[in-house]
This record gives sequence, structure tokens and C-alpha cells, in this order.
Amino acid sequence: MSDVDLSRVWLGVAAQVWRREPGWLERLARRLLRSPGLARALVTTPSLLLGWVIATVAVLGAGAAATSWTGTPFVALFAPAVAGAGIAYAYGPGVDPAWELSCSMAVSDRMVLLVRALAVFGLNAVLGLAASAIAAAAGVSGSAAGVPGSAAAVTFDWLVPMTAVCALALAAATVARSAMAGVAAGLAAWTITVLSGQSVSGRFTAAVTDSALILPYLAFAAACTAIAWYATRIPKGTP
Amino acid sequence: MNVEVAWVTRRFGRNQAVTGVDLETGTGVFGLLGPNGAGKTTLLRMMATVIAPSSGTLRLLDRDPGSYGPRREIRRRLGYLPQNLGYYPGFTVAEFVEYFALLKEMPPGRIPGAVATAIERVDLGTKARAKLRTLSGGMLRRVGIAQAIVNEPGLLLLDEPTAGLDPEQRVAFRALLRELGQRATVVVSTHLVEDVGAACSEVALMDAGRIVFHGTPDELTARGEGQGAAGDAPLERGYSAVLAQARS
Repeated sequence: MSDVDLSRVWLGVAAQVWRREPGWLERLARRLLRSPGLARALVTTPSLLLGWVIATVAVLGAGAAATSWTGTPFVALFAPAVAGAGIAYAYGPGVDPAWELSCSMAVSDRMVLLVRALAVFGLNAVLGLAASAIAAAAGVSGSAAGVPGSAAAVTFDWLVPMTAVCALALAAATVARSAMAGVAAGLAAWTITVLSGQSVSGRFTAAVTDSALILPYLAFAAACTAIAWYATRIPKGTP
Repeated sequence: MNVEVAWVTRRFGRNQAVTGVDLETGTGVFGLLGPNGAGKTTLLRMMATVIAPSSGTLRLLDRDPGSYGPRREIRRRLGYLPQNLGYYPGFTVAEFVEYFALLKEMPPGRIPGAVATAIERVDLGTKARAKLRTLSGGMLRRVGIAQAIVNEPGLLLLDEPTAGLDPEQRVAFRALLRELGQRATVVVSTHLVEDVGAACSEVALMDAGRIVFHGTPDELTARGEGQGAAGDAPLERGYSAVLAQARS
């Protein structure tokens, strides 16, 4: 009888039993992102619960502000910065318990953050679409007026376009192999969309020339910059 | 040489955590000893490419971590256990180790086998499908070690790896260290001298951001002979004698 290496056999069995079979979304993401690591980061985003809650609150808050003041283009321009800072904080050194470890990985931590932003916007867009449909159905049957409109406004004016912008940013980052190039492409696309929309409706000039809004805009921009800086800083740790 | 550190300094604001450190080491287990606040963790984090030196040069696995491409290559062959290992409570042991194997860009076909091997090496086979939130501190430490060794790293950096392990686990871990040190450079930061005596072939002692001793454990032991230094074991007396000399 030939010798059998039982420990080797057991490791083979354990490898098959313990392996996590990727679902269709993860398999699709692996192909598109050309990175199994980024694909896993994408699908596990909602399971990192505290980060998910913080990021979702930031995204929905920014979206509510952006859609409430649709006549002022700078609000729409700054809202992605607020949402981005919220996501970076939620999945950055501020909250993510494994951030230090992530910083030593071959897959860039900035690419992981970009993937997480797409997951947050994308899943919230799906939830927003469902909420809009439910609210519309309830509105038809006689519920409070205006609710279907506000849910749909946040979904269609904010969550869906921002999901598209994040997807574009990620695509650009994947092709260019640079997260910063992806962010630049996403920001450029959003800025062009907002400003061209405002120019067409003639509101852009009025908002820019309204001097009363300049100080709040500057304060807002400074706050966003501070949050983004804090969320993406290098952790100092114990010297 | 897998680690070449030349005149490396790291500042945090006004605080100088590491001051002019020179170090070279190849295959084997290298112990980094020193009291709390000596700069061990900061030096290890620079070697882990988590933070960059304020000045000086660092070469890891014959590459310069200052450039993106070489840094990515180093990280593929790096294993790192931070002092405070953060974990995702909802992940199982196998999922956590697999997640970091993916982020290390291991070939996907090799990952299931590598994950199983790493988990078995730290003796957590019976807990592979347990959620991390259900594990004890010692088990979590072993999960951290499993993720660090899953890619069979050429450079393994372990910050206080035996913290939270019971004596039996500590003995088993030292045996694992010796085994890993036969093929890779293993740098172990600790303030437990007995870990160094049992597992390390080379040791450096840090104090106030500087390396005040570099040699073998036997040479460190010899520094304490006849000095009347404090300590229950010969290596502890060597440690105390060198520190006292450095501070005098």
C-alpha cells in the first residue's frame, strides 16, 4: 500500500470546504476591474457595518442638500466633495479597523476607497429606486403629497448620476492604473454636467454673481477640505 | 540583504521617533527589542511601507519602496502584523485571511490552498468558519499571523506577535518563527526578551529612537555578565546592562 500524506490531503479538503465561492456580481467585477482584490472589496463594502452607516448618512445628507438647493450650482458642485469626504472617513483610518493593514497591501488603498464609493452610491441608488417606486405607489393611493417627488428627486438627481460618475471614475482609474486619474475624470464629468445644466437654464450667472453666497461657499469648501485631509491622512500611531 | 536601512529618521511633528537608524539583515529571524516608546513600531511601520521615512534610505527585498511599482512588488511579498490588529467582526477566519490574500494580489488559483495552509499553521483549523467577533484575543492574534504568512512572504514583519498568546501557543509560535526564518527575513518587534532568546538569530536593541546594540542573543547575554544588572535571566541582564550604558 502506498504512503498517503494525510496532512496534505486534509489541506486539500479544507481548501475546498473553506473557500468562499464568488457570486455573479463579484465575478463580473473581477473581469471589469481586472483585480480579484478590488472585486472582493466592492462586494464586502456593506458588510463593514459602521463604515456603511456613516457613508450612507453622508451620501444621503449631501444628496438632500444638493436637490433642495437646485438653483445654486455650487451646492451641487460641493455635494460630491462632502459625500466623498464622508466615504473616505467611513472607510479610512477614522473608522476602518483594518486600515493600517490595508495600507501595506499591493492593491492601492485609494483604489479600494474608490470601489467603496461606487458600492455606497450604487446600493443606495438601488434602494432609492425601490423607495421611489413604493412612495409613488403610496402617493397614488392617497398618502402625503410631495413624498414621492422628494424620494425620486434624491434618487434621480443625485444617487443615479453619482453612481454613474463613480463608475466612470473607477473605469478611468482602472485603465490609467491611477486612482487620482480616476477621481479627476469623475470630478470633471460631474462639473461639466452641473455647469452645463445650470447654463442652459440661465441660473449659473445669477448664482455666481450673488455675493451673499460667496462666504458660505468658501466656508463650506474649507470644511470639506479639512474633512478630506483628515480622512486620508497617514495614520501617525505610537511613535 | 532583504532589509537595508541607512541613516533613517522619522519625525511626527516635533517628536523624533526614530533617529539615524542603520540596519541590514538577510534570511533569518531578527529580533527588535526595546522598552515602550523606543521607536520599534515606527521602524517596523516604515519597513511595512505604511509610512515613509522623514530622511534616510530604505531598501526592501532589493527594491526601493519610494517608487510606486517597486513598492507594489514589495507589498506582494510582504507579511505584516500590526501592533493593534483591526479586524472585521462579521468576517470568518477563512474570509479574513482570504480577503488579505486577494489584496496582496496572490494568484486566485493558489489562494484556497494558501489560506488553508496558513490557518492550519496557526492551529485555527477548528475555527476557520467562526466569525471573528466570537474569538478570544489570543485567537485573533493568530488570525493576524495567518494573514501575514498566507502569501509565504520574503519579508515578514511582526509587531508584538506573542501578545495575548498563552505559554503553549507561545512555544508553538516560536517554532513557527524558526521555520519561517529558514526561507525568509522575519523581523519581530517585542519587549519580551525570552521570545528573542528562543527564536532569533540576530537582535537589535532600541532606545529613544536609536539602535544601541546589534548582535546575536549570545553577545547580548555576554554584555550583562558581571555587571550586576537587573534581570531574572542572563539575556534580561544583558538587556538591562546595555540600556543602562546607553542612558548613562
